[in-house]
Amino acid sequence: MNQNQGGNDARHDDDSALSDFLASLMDYTPTIPDELVEHYLAKSGFQCPDVRLIRLVAVATQKFVAEVASGALQQCKARQSAVVKDKRDKQQKDKRLILTMEDLSKALREYGVNVKHQEYFADSPSTGMDPASRDE
Amino acid sequence: MSDGGEDDRRNSDNNAPKRAGPDEFGRAVSKIAVAQICESVGFEGFQDSVLQALSNIAVRYLCDVGKTANFCANLAGRTQCNVFDVIRGLEDLGSSEGFSGASGVDQCIVSSGTVREIVEYVNTAKEIPFAQPVPRFPVVRNCKATPSFVQMGETPAGKHIPPWLPAFPDSHTYIQTPMWNERATDPRADKLEQARQRRKAERSLLSLQQRLICNGSASPSTSVERCDDAEASRAAEGNPFLASPLQFGEKDVSTVVLPAKLLDDLVVDNHVSVLETFAPAIEAVKNSFVDSGESEKNVVPEKRSAVHFKLRTGKKILGESVDLRLKNKSVGKVVSWIGRDEERDDKKRRAEYILRQSMENPQELTQL
Repeated sequence: MNQNQGGNDARHDDDSALSDFLASLMDYTPTIPDELVEHYLAKSGFQCPDVRLIRLVAVATQKFVAEVASGALQQCKARQSAVVKDKRDKQQKDKRLILTMEDLSKALREYGVNVKHQEYFADSPSTGMDPASRDE
Repeated sequence: MSDGGEDDRRNSDNNAPKRAGPDEFGRAVSKIAVAQICESVGFEGFQDSVLQALSNIAVRYLCDVGKTANFCANLAGRTQCNVFDVIRGLEDLGSSEGFSGASGVDQCIVSSGTVREIVEYVNTAKEIPFAQPVPRFPVVRNCKATPSFVQMGETPAGKHIPPWLPAFPDSHTYIQTPMWNERATDPRADKLEQARQRRKAERSLLSLQQRLICNGSASPSTSVERCDDAEASRAAEGNPFLASPLQFGEKDVSTVVLPAKLLDDLVVDNHVSVLETFAPAIEAVKNSFVDSGESEKNVVPEKRSAVHFKLRTGKKILGESVDLRLKNKSVGKVVSWIGRDEERDDKKRRAEYILRQSMENPQELTQL
């Protein structure tokens, strides 16, 4: 009986924690707006009138994007520190952290998402060729 | 927030207005949200393609969570999802990188690691609301329902059709009705009218030609009278081209007169405006619609006043001369020219133009 009671208490704690959390979600405004989340959830068949669940999904997505972005940030910083090793002057200039495709693809690879990006796009088949060999 | 590195792509995008794709609004909003999240993480600039890729991934994550949650709910025999379905969906997506308690099978889902991580995140992360208010989308338009038979007040076309069903479309939408021309057209009458107008045009041209010849003569009154007689007899016969040829001496034909330019002293005597000369012809054309019959009315008056000439140096005008016009058998053109009431002024102008041309091209006159 004690075990069961203990188990029940734990379950109650978990339940109350979750319900408290869901209640607190109403105060917290996720970055991803509710309308957007509702739209895409409705598109995939998710039906729920409860706003708290919508907020839960929005927060979860926000957490996911934030994790990916922080992984890309680490890649970017690592690359910058590798470059700066030689020249100390660049450290002052190149402080801007820009999210690039290479960093993103490396970060996403951990999550099992394969993002390969085109290196460059050519205007026509003869771009970059010698002017002599190009057909005018 | 500034874009780094891909300015040329932006320029080419701005040149041509692009049509919005099917989910353009949603994608734009998600792009902004993702950019805000990345900014909170610490980034200062983004490439446009990266932002698009990341927002695409975020949207896919949302859709996957929804799909999985819905699947779990259906599995449990429900159509509406609850919190447990959502947590299972999140666990499913998060299982690739792992969370604490993922291997635990028999523990309550409420205490799963995913939930705990989310709670942690909410407690630690800064609250950044979305930059702009987002309206409810997609906008649902109320479509007009087809009215039923009862609403239309019609009885359905068969006993087997209940009246509460939508009504059939009107019969004129699917039955072809013949188009009738409102005006009654009589092709025979039209042809007769056309022939009559042509004849009138020929007569006018002839009389014009005669007048030009006559007015080029030395003595205005006598020659004009002679021209009148000639014209009168000719007009009276109807179509002069079909009349039998005249024998020599039968008719009193005026002598050939040199044109005004070669005669120095005789020209100034003629003092009549062009309009007066051609007034009868213009009157005749005006009256063409009045007289219904095909009368060969003689339009030329008995008395003819002299014609006033404008002396000019022989300047060749570009364009058709009177001679060519007469030779030109475009009678149809003349019919259209004559047979309209509204173009009276136009006709007067044309008459003046013809006369002017004949004055300025005296060489052609000798050929008449």
